[in-house]
Amino acid sequence: MILLASSSQDNLSRWEQGIRGLAPIFCSTNLDSVRGELVRIKPIILLLDLDLPKLDGPNGILGLMKLNPETRVIILSGTLSDEIEWSLFRTGVRGCCRGDIEPEQLQNVVQAVQQGELWIRRTLSWHLLNELVMITQEKNKIKQAVGELLANLTRREYEIATLVGNGESNKQIARRLDITERTVKAHLTEVFRKLDVADRLKLALIVKGSMPPHGSTSVGH
Amino acid sequence: METVTVAIADMDPGRRTRLEQSLQGGEGITVLTDIMAPGGGARIDGDFQDYENGSMEEVVAKIAQLKPRILFINLDQSIIGDFALLDALHRECPETLVVLLTDRSAQDEQIIQALAYGARGCLSHEADPCYFLKAVHVIDRGEIWVTRKMLSKIMDKVLH
Repeated sequence: MILLASSSQDNLSRWEQGIRGLAPIFCSTNLDSVRGELVRIKPIILLLDLDLPKLDGPNGILGLMKLNPETRVIILSGTLSDEIEWSLFRTGVRGCCRGDIEPEQLQNVVQAVQQGELWIRRTLSWHLLNELVMITQEKNKIKQAVGELLANLTRREYEIATLVGNGESNKQIARRLDITERTVKAHLTEVFRKLDVADRLKLALIVKGSMPPHGSTSVGH
Repeated sequence: METVTVAIADMDPGRRTRLEQSLQGGEGITVLTDIMAPGGGARIDGDFQDYENGSMEEVVAKIAQLKPRILFINLDQSIIGDFALLDALHRECPETLVVLLTDRSAQDEQIIQALAYGARGCLSHEADPCYFLKAVHVIDRGEIWVTRKMLSKIMDKVLH
C-alpha cells in the first residue's frame, strides 16, 4: 500500500495519477490522519509533502517513521538547499523530489525506492560518500588507539578484557579460565587502571571499538 | 572543454587495452597508456601484491608523478592489505580520483569498504563503453558513480 500525504488536493491528484497501478493508494490531508494510517495500513511507501501543516521538518518526519519503521518515506517539496535535503536523508528518508514532479517520473521514483534504491541527487550523493569516508577514518583512528592501549595489557588481562567485551560476568570468566572470581577482579582492577576506565561497560565499549579510549582523539558522530 | 586525464591499472592486459581504446575515443579525455609497462611505468600487475618490496610505494609515486585525474583500478587490487593502496592514493594523490573496476565476484561489502577508503565510483568490467565515458566526466565534476542500490546501502552504513 502507498500512502500519499499532502494538504493540497492538486498534489494528491497528480501524485495518484503517477503511481496508479503500483499498489493500493490511500490519501491523508493532515498530520493526524497520516499518523493513524501509518499504524493502520502500514504502507510500504509514504509520499510526504514537506509542507504538510504541523509536520515540523526532520523532527516530525522522524516521529512518523517511528510509528512504522518499515515504511519507506519519499519527501516531495519545493526546491531545497543541499543542507536541508541532506538533513532529511539523515532522518532515514529514502528519496526526495520536487512536489511538481511529472507523474511518469514520480512512478520511476516510487519504483526505485520500492526496489530498495535511494533516490538522491548526484550532488548529494557526494556528501553521502564523504560522510562514509569520514566515519571510516574515525573508526580506524579509534581502532588504532584501542590497539595501542590493549597492547599494554598482559596476555591474561587482555583475555579477561575481551571476555568482558563479550558481555561475560566475573563468575563466567572465572569458570571459563579456571581461576577464582577474586583473581578475575584483581586482573580487572589492573585493566581499569591501565585503560583509565571506571567500569566494565566502558571497558566493553572500548574493547568492541565502539568508544575511543580516554585521552585519545574523540570523534563525534 | 578541459581534457580529463585517465589512467588504467588493470591486471588483465587485454581488458586494459580494450578500456584504453574505448576511452581514447571519448571527447575531452586523454588516456595515459602504458603506465604499467615494465621499466617505463608503474607495475600494478604481477608484483603488485608484494607491498613489502615497495611496489605499492612505486605505484603511488608513479601516480603522484603522472597525476591522472581519474585512475581505474581493479577492486581485487584495492582490497589487498586492508585497502592500503586506496588509503595511500587518498593521502598522497588527492587530486587523482579512483574508480573501481569490478567483476561478477565483487561483493557489495567490499565495494562499500573500498568507497570508504576514498574510491569515487565503481563500474563493472562488462559495462557498456559509453558508461565508462560518462563515469569519467561525472567523477571529474566531483560527483560519484555508483548505483542507486549501492547508495542505499551506503546510507544504511552512515545512519547505523
